[in-house]
Amino acid sequence: MNDREVEQRLRAVLGEMSHQDLTHTDPDADLVRELGLDSLGALRLLAVVEKRFGVRFPDDRLAAFRTLRQMRNFIAHSKQEAVR
Amino acid sequence: MRIGLIAMSGVRVRTPELAALGVTLPQFVNRGQVIASLPSLGLLTVAALTPPDVEVVYREIQEVRPDEPPEPFDLIGISSFTAQIDEAYALADRYRAAGIPVVLGGLHVSLVPDEAARHADSIVLYGAEGAWPRLVDDFRHGRLQPRYLGLRAGVFEAPHYVRPRFDLLRGRPYNRLTVQTSRGCPLDCEFCAASLRITSAFQQKPVSLVVEEIRAAREVTDHPFFEFADDNTFLNKKWGKEFLRAIAPLGLNWFTETDISVADDDELLDLLAASGCRQILIGLESPAGDDLAGVDPHDWKRKRSSRYLEAIERIQSRGVTVNGCFVLGLDNHTPDIFGRVKEFVERARLLEVQLTVMTPFPGTPLYDRLAREGRLLWPRYWDRCTLFDVNYRPRGMTVEQLEEGLRWLFRETYNEREYARRQRHYMEIVKQRL
Repeated sequence: MNDREVEQRLRAVLGEMSHQDLTHTDPDADLVRELGLDSLGALRLLAVVEKRFGVRFPDDRLAAFRTLRQMRNFIAHSKQEAVR
Repeated sequence: MRIGLIAMSGVRVRTPELAALGVTLPQFVNRGQVIASLPSLGLLTVAALTPPDVEVVYREIQEVRPDEPPEPFDLIGISSFTAQIDEAYALADRYRAAGIPVVLGGLHVSLVPDEAARHADSIVLYGAEGAWPRLVDDFRHGRLQPRYLGLRAGVFEAPHYVRPRFDLLRGRPYNRLTVQTSRGCPLDCEFCAASLRITSAFQQKPVSLVVEEIRAAREVTDHPFFEFADDNTFLNKKWGKEFLRAIAPLGLNWFTETDISVADDDELLDLLAASGCRQILIGLESPAGDDLAGVDPHDWKRKRSSRYLEAIERIQSRGVTVNGCFVLGLDNHTPDIFGRVKEFVERARLLEVQLTVMTPFPGTPLYDRLAREGRLLWPRYWDRCTLFDVNYRPRGMTVEQLEEGLRWLFRETYNEREYARRQRHYMEIVKQRL
């Protein structure tokens, strides 16, 4: 999957989870604020991404993944690392 | 006529060492910010009890500028908890000096009415239902009485029930809203200073009214997180299931407080998870049964404590986090309690923890007993009723041991490493359920 495909799938997965349409959401928008999530909601979001994309966000930096771009970059980086 | 309703809000700690420690600990700071960001449901209810031809303005205390002349209201209503009551009195004195009559209400006023009356033209005791409409009518006709007794029962029944004025919050930055489903709690813990002190019996709101309130609240705020502002939401399991089935289709995320018996019922637990319950706060108070003797008149919590671990596991396995609340400094606690709580929190894999110190709020049975035993440290200490400051002589340790133990447990429980560990545990539960 290229970056664009990762982002599209992210939008679909998170939109399904939050029951909101994220098709046109700014990739740099703070999703926690955008989706009106509380702190547990933010963690659920990351858990869903981990499960669906087979990645694991670092425990000491969970708060650093709040936008589509940040998640997309991490997923893309993790996939590259896995290939090497 | 124009009435101003002012909500006192915010959480603080008086003991300097603990205050300094608190701001560095992520989970402690988070919960404090959440509590400070909740609107006053009591005042929204008072607003709804006000006749429709009267203009009502809702203000948070942060919006009241001390350096500017008081806003032009015909009447002011102020509601406050114990810890901020002196600020509420100072504000009331300021309005009265400017010629604006003041009414004081809320839990503290109900429990210490004679003190409050010195700072107000009138006070409301117990629920505003049954009192506020009469008060406004008397004020309008120039016969305001110094004291009004509200209802202690039947507040959710016609003609007294009103839906809180959530519309007053429109355009404000609240992302968490409170809705009440019940008042009171029959457990009657000695230290409790919540709504059971202003009710004569447990009162449950009909499910249909709660759902209407949720719908009304959602009209003014996008995707709010709901807190059910009860002492014990799921005391009545039959009502609880009816309620959860009713809110399941609404797509809510919500939090509430209840007791450990919620874990007895698998159907209830499944409904909790399906209805969007994200966290329940449970007053565990202490890890071992012997610690809990005498906490409530029926020793209910002592009898239940041997099953705490199993119950927490059953609840959290549904993806519903338990916020385990502990009260440090109970009469049966000795200095080993801090280590025992730490060990329990780890064994239970609690996803959130609330550590408080036993606090003799005025008007509670605990206050009366400690006063009789000569164990209160000061005759008046309301600004220290924060749940984190020590105001009495513990039985099984010194004041200094309690304060130092609390600080140690704060550091052990709320640090970044433990916070990250709890977050990861929650994420793994969520992933298992996907």
